Amino acid sequence: MGTMGLALPWEARISEEQCHKGRTVDPTETTSRFSPAAANVSREDSALAAACRAGDLRAFERLYLLHASRMKSIARNLLGTATDAEDAVQDTFLKIQRSIASFRGQSSFATWSFRILINTCYDARRSRMRKKEVAQDEPEENSPRPEPRAAVSHPSLRLALERALSQLTRHQRDVFLLYEVEGFRHSEIAAVLDISETASKNTLFQAKRNLRQMLEAPRSSAAEAR
Amino acid sequence: MNINCNDRERIFLDGTPEEWTALKEHAAACSECEHEVEAWKSLSVAASELHQEWDSPALWPRIEQALQQQSAAAKSPWWGRLLGNWNLTSLQWQTAAAALVLVAVTASAIWFIVRPPGSKIPADQALFNDHTVREVEKAEAAYEQAIDKLDAQAGPQLENAATPLMASYREKLQVLDSAIADLKSQAGMNPGNGHLRRQLLAMYQEKQDTLEEVLEAKQ
Repeated sequence: MGTMGLALPWEARISEEQCHKGRTVDPTETTSRFSPAAANVSREDSALAAACRAGDLRAFERLYLLHASRMKSIARNLLGTATDAEDAVQDTFLKIQRSIASFRGQSSFATWSFRILINTCYDARRSRMRKKEVAQDEPEENSPRPEPRAAVSHPSLRLALERALSQLTRHQRDVFLLYEVEGFRHSEIAAVLDISETASKNTLFQAKRNLRQMLEAPRSSAAEAR
Repeated sequence: MNINCNDRERIFLDGTPEEWTALKEHAAACSECEHEVEAWKSLSVAASELHQEWDSPALWPRIEQALQQQSAAAKSPWWGRLLGNWNLTSLQWQTAAAALVLVAVTASAIWFIVRPPGSKIPADQALFNDHTVREVEKAEAAYEQAIDKLDAQAGPQLENAATPLMASYREKLQVLDSAIADLKSQAGMNPGNGHLRRQLLAMYQEKQDTLEEVLEAKQ
C-alpha cells in the first residue's frame, strides 16, 4: 500500500501557508516520504544486513548515516532529551550488532533496526521510572528538565500536542509519531510495530481523534470563558 | 463525486485523494466540515514540527568504539571478558587479586546456598523443573530490584569517577553487566539450566558487592 489514501496527502494535510516553511511542510515530500523500502534504500538493505552480520563496521556506519537522524528524532520524542536519545541510538546499534545473527529478513533491515530502537526507548523509559522511584526522596532540582527545542511556527500547539501525546496509549503514540512526525508509511509502521496496515490506520485515526478531543477541550472552555 | 458530512470520518480514516478533494469542496460550503478538516490538518502541521534534527559529531565515533569493544568482547568467553577486559593496568595488583578472591569466595558461597543440603546434584537433576525455575526467577528479580536501588545510589559517584579506584569500579561493573546480559540471554533460551542460573546468581552477587563497595568508598 502506498502513502496516498492512508491519511491526508501532504498537500491536503499542510496548509498552503505552511507549505513555504521548514522541512516538514514541503509538498514535494509526497514523493520523498521516508521509506526504508524505497528503491534506493531497499537495494542496499540486504547487502547492508549481510555486511553488518559479517561484522563490517563500515556497514554499521552506513546504517547510521542513512537512519540516525530519524532514529534520534524518534528517541527524543519518546525520551525527552537529546542526550537520552543519543544514548538510545547507541544502545540500538549495540543491540543490532548483538542480535544480527537472528535477523532472518522477514522485514527490511531498516524496519528491524527501528523496531529495536523503539523497544530500546521503552526499556530506557522503564529503567528511568524505576530509578525515579528509588530517588523520589531526593531534591526536585536533581530531576532532568525538558530541553528547549528549535523554534517552531505553532509553539503553543506543539507544547499542547507534546502533553497530549503523553496521554495516548503506547500504540497510539508510536503510530502517530512514526506517521505524522517521522513520515513513515503505514506499511512500514505495520512492519516496525508488528501490526497490520489496517490496524496502523485505525490506530492513527484513534490517536488523532483522541488528540483532537484533548486539544479541543481547553479551546472550547476558553471560548466559553470569553 | 458526492460527499456529505457523513463521509467525513471515513475519509479521515482511509480516504482516497479524490475523496479528499471532494471533501474540501464540500467543506467550502459546510462550516462544520470546514472546521473539522482544518483541525485535522493543524494536527498534522503541529506534529510535523515535533521532528527534530541536530548535529551529533561525537555520536558515531562513540558508537563505533562501543561496537568495536562489543565485537572484541564477543570473541572471548564471558570469564575471559570479566578478567581480560578489566583494565588491570589501572588497578593496584592487590586490588585485582582481592577482587578475584572475592569472586571465587562469593561463587562458592552461592554454590553451597543454592545446592540442597547434604546432597550431591546428580547429573539428571542438572535441569531445574518449572517450579524451581519460577523460584529462581523470583530470586533473580529480587536481586535485580536490590541492585537497581544500589545502582541508583552509586550512579552519581560512578558517573563522576574522580579517582582511579572509582574508574576501576565502573569498568568492573560494565564487564559484570555484559556478563549478566550474556548469561540472561543464555538462561532465557535454556531456563532450566541450573549451571547457568548459578553463574547468573554469582554475577548478581558480585555486582551487588561491588556497588556496596562503591557506596562504602563514598562514605
